[in-house]
Amino acid sequence: MKVSLNWLKEYAPINKDITELSDSLTMAGLEIETVESRFEYLNEVIVAKVNSAKKHPDADKLSVCEVDTGEKVIQVVCGAPNVRDGLTVALALPGTILPTTEGKPLKKGKIRGEKSEGMICSAIELQIGVDADGIIELDTNLTIGDTLLKALSLEDYTLEIGLTPNRPDCLGLIGVAREIAAMENTSVKFPEVKDLAASGDINEHVSVTIEDPELCPRYTAALILDAKVADSPFWLQDRLLSVGLTPINNIVDITNFVMMETGQPLHAFDLDHLEESRIVVKRANEGDKFTTLDDKERTLSSETLMICDGKKPVAVGGVMGGQNSEIGDNTTKVLLESAYFSPTSIRKTAKKLNLGTDATHRFERGVDPEGTLFALKRAAALIAELTGGKLVSGVIDENPIKHKRTELNLSMMQTNRALGLKLSIEEIKKHLESVEFEVSIKDEDTLFVIAPGFRVDVSRPVDLMEEVARLEGYDKIPVTHPVAPSVSALPPKVTFYRDKIKDMLLGLGMTEAINYSFIGDNNADLLMLPENDDRRKMLGILNPLTEDQGVMRTSVIPGLLQNMKHNNANQNKTLKLFEFGNIFISNGQNQQPTETEMLAGVITGGTKDPVWYQKEDSVSFYDAKGIVEELLERLKIENVTYTSLSVDECLYTRKGYSAKIISGNKEIGLIGKVKTEVKENFDLKQDAFIFELSYENLLSAVPESLNTYPLPIYPSVTRDITMIVEKDVEAGDILKEFKGFKEKLFESVRVSDLYEGDNIEEGYKSLSFRLTYRSENTTLKDKKVNKIHTNMSKRIIEKFNAKLP
Amino acid sequence: MNKAIEDIQKESLEEIDNAKDLKELDSITVKYTGKKGFITSFSKNLSNLPSEERPAAGKKVNEVRTAFESALAEKIVSIKREIEEADTGIDVSLPGVRPAQGALHPVTIITREICSIFSSMGFNIAEGPEVETDYYNFEALNFPHNHPAREMQDTYYVSENILLRTHTSPMQARVMEKEKPPLKYIVPGKVYRCDSDITHTPMFHQVEGLMVDENISFGDLKGVLTSFIHQIFDEDTSLRFRPSFFPFTEPSAEVDIRCVICRGKGCRVCSQTGWLEILGSGMVHPGVFEYAGYDTEVITGFAFGMGVERIAMLKYGIDDIRKYYENDIRFLGQF
Ligand SMILES: [Zn+2]
Repeated sequence: MKVSLNWLKEYAPINKDITELSDSLTMAGLEIETVESRFEYLNEVIVAKVNSAKKHPDADKLSVCEVDTGEKVIQVVCGAPNVRDGLTVALALPGTILPTTEGKPLKKGKIRGEKSEGMICSAIELQIGVDADGIIELDTNLTIGDTLLKALSLEDYTLEIGLTPNRPDCLGLIGVAREIAAMENTSVKFPEVKDLAASGDINEHVSVTIEDPELCPRYTAALILDAKVADSPFWLQDRLLSVGLTPINNIVDITNFVMMETGQPLHAFDLDHLEESRIVVKRANEGDKFTTLDDKERTLSSETLMICDGKKPVAVGGVMGGQNSEIGDNTTKVLLESAYFSPTSIRKTAKKLNLGTDATHRFERGVDPEGTLFALKRAAALIAELTGGKLVSGVIDENPIKHKRTELNLSMMQTNRALGLKLSIEEIKKHLESVEFEVSIKDEDTLFVIAPGFRVDVSRPVDLMEEVARLEGYDKIPVTHPVAPSVSALPPKVTFYRDKIKDMLLGLGMTEAINYSFIGDNNADLLMLPENDDRRKMLGILNPLTEDQGVMRTSVIPGLLQNMKHNNANQNKTLKLFEFGNIFISNGQNQQPTETEMLAGVITGGTKDPVWYQKEDSVSFYDAKGIVEELLERLKIENVTYTSLSVDECLYTRKGYSAKIISGNKEIGLIGKVKTEVKENFDLKQDAFIFELSYENLLSAVPESLNTYPLPIYPSVTRDITMIVEKDVEAGDILKEFKGFKEKLFESVRVSDLYEGDNIEEGYKSLSFRLTYRSENTTLKDKKVNKIHTNMSKRIIEKFNAKLP
Repeated sequence: MNKAIEDIQKESLEEIDNAKDLKELDSITVKYTGKKGFITSFSKNLSNLPSEERPAAGKKVNEVRTAFESALAEKIVSIKREIEEADTGIDVSLPGVRPAQGALHPVTIITREICSIFSSMGFNIAEGPEVETDYYNFEALNFPHNHPAREMQDTYYVSENILLRTHTSPMQARVMEKEKPPLKYIVPGKVYRCDSDITHTPMFHQVEGLMVDENISFGDLKGVLTSFIHQIFDEDTSLRFRPSFFPFTEPSAEVDIRCVICRGKGCRVCSQTGWLEILGSGMVHPGVFEYAGYDTEVITGFAFGMGVERIAMLKYGIDDIRKYYENDIRFLGQF
């Protein structure tokens, strides 16, 4: 909503300067988003004197002028018929941007071979008048060289108000002025409706029937005959320009002017185009077609309220007029409409037709149901006055459903309690009265309040408390502190561990990524998910901004692979990223999806950034696995096994390079090398390794309490065993077998070496294990250890069909 | 025989004394105490001596060995010391061996900061679904159907009744539906609005807060949010509460802080106003309490919500919000 300072001054005295005014409006809840000095461009236009004007040698209609700028004399080519010697003119210098030059600065140039160093302007070019026939002739007493802004003392500001939807009363300048008046302890000054001579009786010319009072509780109309359509006078055009509206003709301009003034949208019909000279307000038939003023054919529904004449629809009620009854150059009989329409009905229609106008903006928020007639009379009088028309006596006022004012009881005590204030009942009363609430004191704690019609936002006592707070000033409410508990709150497990895991991953060299939750629906294909995979159940978004944000993600992996591509393209080859985030498996578009939080990571490039003391080494499966292992161990998750994914289970990871992570009997996630095809699908050049864990399953594997063990007192003894096994024997299985031995003195086992190649038969590999033995109550003797070690080794060798080297 | 051992002693000690480096000492060690060294051989040959000579000879050879070994040890220490003296050291300007360390996303850093401030004031953390129903996102928060207030947020719809939550506020309704006052909750999480430019991304993060009890006032709201802002920015940050409108709070207040960029003089970031909108807040609307079945005569409360990215932008001076979701490590590595 735009308002101008000078226009506001018509309705309320304003003593504050523009900065103070905009600050106090903002603090009253009418946020001033921008303040623009309207005539700033007139700082670049100066008062100048035409010393001489001679005919252009090559063009009959042009003059070549010597112009005195106060500093020097320059040459300007001018096309105006009234340019002549001795004239005081408005001269725009090169670089000036005028409202009529569409943002382009004026340039020095040559016109038909004669140089021109400026432009002598007409009133319309400067938007300070309507005369377009010639250049503006300024008072000869003005000082040559002064800026026009100074010389004409023109000053106005346009303020853009970011109005919240609860304040439609401020969608008219009178409403904004009312707020200013309240601050100044005065009241708003309504514009005068001129009492013009009227004749005849409107009822003899036209009738109005409301067939659907629910959607149109009130419809008023006035009639002006013998009107003459023309351009509006300058003052009217200036008002519209000051709030960003474009003047069209006197009748349309007046309806816009009065709408801006009162907040009540108006519509003017050409009565000659209304068949049977009557107005019928009723719903459209489903599927009817209608062409609106903007030249578009609209399909109507049975919920759309139409303004019709005796035969046909002539306007979409409260939304936009129709072409068939538009005011044209030859219109003489103007039927003026001012009505109150149901806000929800207007909103539905505007949404359905995808047609938002200044009128729908106001009607759907709620215009003043008691202001209908005032706006009608104000506009009718202006039309009669400015078009030279004749006002027909009387108005039509069909009002089947009368507006009922909101009546409320307000408790002083509750108001003070909710706001943290200590206002007296009189002070509360005064605040409410300052914005035109009718207030009476019922008892020592209770006020009886009647809301004015224009305050459609007020329906509960709390709405009045807000008024009190706002008018008292939020800054006057003392800062207090609620009684705080003596302990701070602990984060829930899900938050606590998420934070903890993030910190651990950080220490493991991983950086956190956050990707959008929506992706393109082609990602299921890019990941090569099979037809029956749950992750193909994608939840679609009806109104995505772009196609690649069209569905909710069912995997975190695509985002991470895209991040990898982005970073690789920016010469960051080495990357370790992780992300915590939800995936969404659709349960159908009409239900909430199943949201599961995932923890995933991608690593690619070198094991570390290139350094001087070590050759660069590429990351492998085991780097990804190591991160997961370390994480799970730090979380004290026990009984974790990593088993190879079968060929069928490998969807986007490569067979033979993929493992599932199992804790107890629950699958937590997977680790793997990204399949070559998937790499190609995501346009990746480097090898990438991913891990993907269900956070919920991970969390459920975390033990409730931490068990510690005492430090050993006696030293341990280690023994190694090296064996040659077939290549497809998994080291994990051997480790598992070892760990299964119920041997009291056997403490732990780890893989100490893997060797394939020279000296080892094709199809075999050499695996070495280091076993640790320890007793709780004595230092172990070699002999005893050897016996156990030999025994265990023997059993392993038999079990895995191994050979000793 | 005795004489010979005395010669060995004399010669070995002289050799040790004259040795120049550790390598030379190594060969001296081999020469005298190695498997076939002079002292070793002498010990081995003791058994060949007549039995009455053996004790004296044995004693002597042990003396020689002890003297040899202590001279050797001394010499090693002194040579090592010389080596250390002569050593000019390493190039300490070469980079160190650094264990790799990752970085947290700035949104996480700021979310944690916000949550820890409120946790210390006794607020509990709750989380909720990101794909919500119209009921929780709008209706239970007092947004009527077909009301322009719904336009304040550009909503992503999945179907008529299912949408991506436009704010973390649905958790207000969810929490109040389950629990009775007193309540103190904050809700961090992702939210979605279909809007994208230099200051808006279609997904961003909010932290919602809710405090409900008997006798909570607007003054308390000011108190809690003032302490929060002084902690997250600094004690000198001035702020103002100005009237605004949210369907689920009344009175509603927008909280502005003095522009951290221009210190209130007016700049591009604050649209020349000198103020920056930092969070929305207000007293919980009785309509919302009614949905939860609370007694609106007794129960009052306040709610607030803030954008994490916006606070991060101001704290870190980030000018393009879209950078948050490119996950460029050159960006992420800065935090
Ligand atoms: Zn600023």
